[in-house]
Amino acid sequence: MTLVDGKANKTYTVHNIQLEKGTEIRLKALGLTDGTKIEVLNNKRGGSVIFSVRGTRLAVGRKIAEAIHIEEE
Amino acid sequence: MIQEENHREKQELKVGFVGNPNCGKTTLFNAYTGAKLKVANWPGVTVEKKEGAMKYHDHRFKLVDLPGIYSLTSYTMEEKLTRQFILDSEVDVIVDVADASALERNLYLTLQLIELGKPVILALNMMDIVEERGMEIDMHRLPEMLGIPCIPVSARRRTGLDILMHTVAHHKEKCRHNSIVHQHPNKVEEESSHAHEHHHELTMVYSDEIEDKIDVLIDRMMEIEFETENYRWYALKLLEHDEEVMNLVPIDLSGIADKSYEAEIIHQKYDFLKGYFEVGFESFSSMVLNGLESLGTSEILISLLVDGIIAGVGGILTFLPNIFILFLALAFLEDSGYMARVAYVMDGLMGKLGLSGRAFIPMILGFGCTVPAVMASRALEDMRDRRRTVLVTPFMSCSARLPIYVLFSQMFFGRYAMLAAFSMYVIGLVIAVISAFVMNKLGNKGSMSPLLIELPEYKTPNKRTIIIYVWDKVKDYLTKAGTTIFLASIVIWFILNFGPQGMTEDMSQSFGAIFGKFLSPILVPAGLGLWQVVVALISGLAAKEVVVSSFSVLYGIANISSGEGMDNLINLLSSQNFTAINAYSFMLFCLLYTPCVATIAVVKRELNSTKWTIFSILFQLSVAYLVSVLFFQIASFITSL
Repeated sequence: MTLVDGKANKTYTVHNIQLEKGTEIRLKALGLTDGTKIEVLNNKRGGSVIFSVRGTRLAVGRKIAEAIHIEEE
Repeated sequence: MIQEENHREKQELKVGFVGNPNCGKTTLFNAYTGAKLKVANWPGVTVEKKEGAMKYHDHRFKLVDLPGIYSLTSYTMEEKLTRQFILDSEVDVIVDVADASALERNLYLTLQLIELGKPVILALNMMDIVEERGMEIDMHRLPEMLGIPCIPVSARRRTGLDILMHTVAHHKEKCRHNSIVHQHPNKVEEESSHAHEHHHELTMVYSDEIEDKIDVLIDRMMEIEFETENYRWYALKLLEHDEEVMNLVPIDLSGIADKSYEAEIIHQKYDFLKGYFEVGFESFSSMVLNGLESLGTSEILISLLVDGIIAGVGGILTFLPNIFILFLALAFLEDSGYMARVAYVMDGLMGKLGLSGRAFIPMILGFGCTVPAVMASRALEDMRDRRRTVLVTPFMSCSARLPIYVLFSQMFFGRYAMLAAFSMYVIGLVIAVISAFVMNKLGNKGSMSPLLIELPEYKTPNKRTIIIYVWDKVKDYLTKAGTTIFLASIVIWFILNFGPQGMTEDMSQSFGAIFGKFLSPILVPAGLGLWQVVVALISGLAAKEVVVSSFSVLYGIANISSGEGMDNLINLLSSQNFTAINAYSFMLFCLLYTPCVATIAVVKRELNSTKWTIFSILFQLSVAYLVSVLFFQIASFITSL
């Protein structure tokens, strides 16, 4: 599954990210490396998602959320 | 010896402040310098390098506030700028400001800074939040593991400031710690194929595979006699396939770094950090958060602060209170941490216009002043996104246009004055949205850059920060009134009082009148065919407030914002057949036409293209012309029925 399908208040593990290189490296630098645990905080119908990773909160749009593959805990 | 000591004490120490966005870096910087800087809540506001000076005992410091960044890649302007600044030896000591409440992520940048090879001091900010949350940071282990001094500070409560500066003063020489805790357990070290004897002085040791490659690359750099103080850093960047460094160091990477190891290097850094912090998974006080984050609250809040207050004060006589309240509202939005949420809330709607939610932030800032708003578009990474945002941002009605609306709506619309002035803000926004939509339809769509933004903690706006922010803007406004507008008034006076025959008593014989009369036929369809109007509009290119001061010069009215002055002006204009419809058409034109020279200059700088700058000027001019002609023709037709 991808982050778009993530449900609010649930914890997931990041599996794999497949994006254009600049954005992908940026996400990784923000701490979203493979195997990282994240908690989805808010998931709007439009596809943008708020989640917490390593103690900070990030918001991403649908395009990015679709490219982040996650696994349920 | 004593002399040398004295000499050293008198030398100015250059200190660079580096840190993640929202880590409180600017607040800390302000606490030292008292410089008029503001705290920004979203990445990209502190884009310019800010400097300040201070003294601590016998030491003199030059402090530099660098942009808020998450890493040191060459993908964004801010990161490139910071990296280059440090590499060019323009700083003696780096103060790395870290948000202690999100330490793991903040320390990632710390590791990168340490690798640059300059003396680094870690300032742990927001320790109060850490305590509140019941988290603990091992202050003995942290410096041991990083090999750099770690000082807890609180920028808001102003604690730990002296200790930090003391450390800066005494840490200017690169001091290597021998007691760095190592990542590799002894067993791995023994079995390793790689000799690790040089690792005792490194903070971050990578896997054998990476370390072997680093050694080979360092050898190859030495072979081509590439000179640097920090081979290791260049080797790492070569492994990451960093474009800038690859161009700078032309060595053969084949067999060593056929692919980019960037993701791997990031991963290992985080693994290293993770070994020392088990920053537990925080459960946020979601009650407050969800309440505030819900769409309903957000839009009401923004509308109350920006639209409500702006509309409410639209009819006030003097202009300064309006300006003051406008910037107060923007300061609250920024300092509370709300701005980043706007980007999230607006992402869906902006997506329909082919723009990322982040593009909405420059547009809101545009209500204050177009210049910083255009600069704020830097936070958008995609050039096409930025160009579109820069093109539509000037349509957001800036504070300089407010005096025009206040004056003309009061003169011509009586008790509807407030509505007339307020409508300008709505129309500006609508035109911006339509333009973005049309540009998206016409332009090649391509991939729009997706939303990616950090949401900082909500916090009570800091009194000091708000005061500094608002005072700065109000002072700006007053300064502009004293300089640009003053100068423009002189120029206007000159072209109105001198003509081909030298100084002239009859204004209609002046250069200004001749020029205005030459151009005025073009503006007849918009109901603006008076040469005085043309001159006022052209003078408005210096700054939009000048339009008002030009009117007072053109019609010889000294106290234009007083009741008497307005009566005089309205009589003079009415005698030239200038009615409410003309006035509204004029307000529309002022809202939409080419912004001031300062904006043009900053557009040129941001887009880095003469072609697009000229396009921007012509685009706004033609939109203004089109809209005001359309309005005037339709309105005249309806009233003539």
